[in-house]
Amino acid sequence: MTKRVVATVVGITLFLAAWELFVRAFHVRKFVLRAPSTALAHLWKFRGDFASAALVTIQHAAFGLACALVVSLVLGAALSASRFAEWAVQPVLTLVQVVPWVAYVSSVVLWLGAGDRPAIFMVALACTPAYVFATVDGMRSADPATIELLASVDASRWEVLWRVRLPSAAPALFTASRFNMGFALAVAYFVEGANFSDEGIGSIGRRAASQSSGADALWASVFAMAILGFMGLIALSLLERVVLRWHVSQRPTAN
Amino acid sequence: MSRIVLRDLTKSFGALSVVDPLSLDIESGSFVSIIGPSGCGKTTLVRVIAGLEPASSGEVSVDGAPPREARMRKRVAMVPQQPGLLPWRTVRSNAHLLLDVNRRANPNDAADAMALLHEVGLSDFLQAYPHELSGGMQQRVALVRALTLHAPLLVMDEPFAALDEITRTEMRGMLNRLVEGRGVTVLFVTHSITEAVALSDRVLVSSPRPTNVVADIAIDLPRPRSVEVEDDPRFVELCAHVRHALHGGMRGTSETR
Ligand SMILES: Nc1ncnc2c1ncn2[C@@H]1O[C@H](COP(=O)(O)OP(=O)(O)O)[C@@H](O)[C@H]1O
Ligand SMILES: [Mg+2]
Repeated sequence: MTKRVVATVVGITLFLAAWELFVRAFHVRKFVLRAPSTALAHLWKFRGDFASAALVTIQHAAFGLACALVVSLVLGAALSASRFAEWAVQPVLTLVQVVPWVAYVSSVVLWLGAGDRPAIFMVALACTPAYVFATVDGMRSADPATIELLASVDASRWEVLWRVRLPSAAPALFTASRFNMGFALAVAYFVEGANFSDEGIGSIGRRAASQSSGADALWASVFAMAILGFMGLIALSLLERVVLRWHVSQRPTAN
Repeated sequence: MSRIVLRDLTKSFGALSVVDPLSLDIESGSFVSIIGPSGCGKTTLVRVIAGLEPASSGEVSVDGAPPREARMRKRVAMVPQQPGLLPWRTVRSNAHLLLDVNRRANPNDAADAMALLHEVGLSDFLQAYPHELSGGMQQRVALVRALTLHAPLLVMDEPFAALDEITRTEMRGMLNRLVEGRGVTVLFVTHSITEAVALSDRVLVSSPRPTNVVADIAIDLPRPRSVEVEDDPRFVELCAHVRHALHGGMRGTSETR
């Protein structure tokens, strides 16, 4: 575990050092790329503003993810019980996934108004397909021997769902969460910039991008998002370690 | 009284006939093995008796009721070929699984899972997860899980097929100890002759598909049985008897083709 932390720190430090060197060596123009040191200094200077904005962004991402998860569990449970329903709904979800949501964000903002609602809605919408697919696959992966065993004592559908299918889907849901975590933050950031409110890290980035002197703030917002994403993944890993204690992925490896 | 009664039972999947008209009485409290080649329809027969699959024609009664009813009242305890333990449950909580679902049908005299786990030598593994157990230990948990129901009928479908020979011998001894004196009726599916003879009061030999009983052999070895019974000349004799019936049955069908 400690080895893993060291490896992470080494990887990120090397990446940032290479970036810093690149910007300094080639004198890259301000808006194109800022050196990490400059961006981080700005972030530190305005840490109060960034912290309160981060709180808003975290809420948008977290509520959106939670809504997506709840909707997906219900939908996924229904779809895993019926091939027909799965075949009917899958193309719709794929459409949601491939259509560029950036294109219709402004319509959603017009519909739901400024503020939190469009951000949470868009995060939930964007994260739902991956969660539904994970739920369906995970629930179908449940051991048929156990399901037959429960049938032999006339367990109800609900009991099978709750005691066997749902826990079987947990590993796939964690994998989808890793993917959705980054997605949720990106969508939250973008919608905050587009929804005419002045809350969230996205709105800081938006304002910075429209000012000629905003380069430092813009790149500081990028770093703030990176830190949020990183914290989110750590939280997810800790949760996974508790919830999936029993799963192959959590067993110690040889090295 | 007979625990299981079959009258002209047939089962087919589409055009594939898996169980030929089969009539059978299994007495209460007896240990009956069905032995037959792979694919002959043993699992299908067991699933029909357990109420998991409807019969195509004929009658089945378990404990005086149709299998579906016996199933709803938790009167049939199954030990499947794969232990089917839930990987996120500990040994102790896996042993309790069948009592955790459909609780309305739980018997008043449900057996104590803890006591049973002690009896099969798993006291030190109560908090272990299935992946920390050997195959034999997993199958012992599956057996305990079935016994907790205190059901009059225990149905075991090749429970030891995936185990090595040494473990299988151990499991035979353990199973004999567990069921002797419990008064439970056991329907045991196997394709091991030694296993069938060592455990049973009666061995039914099935032909290749479709399942039909070509020999019904009483095993008159004394009880309680220990592993030593397998050195008894009578044991060897009975094994030979079952083997001949099994191969006779297989030859019989190939000649009619
Ligand atoms: N649900 C099913 N649908 C169609 N065919 C089946 C089904 N279950 C079993 N069979 C067929 O029935 C035959 C007997 O299978 P099975 O009862 O599992 O045999 P055994 O347990 O003796 O090895 C096999 O040919 C198998 O392919
Ligand atoms: Mg079978």
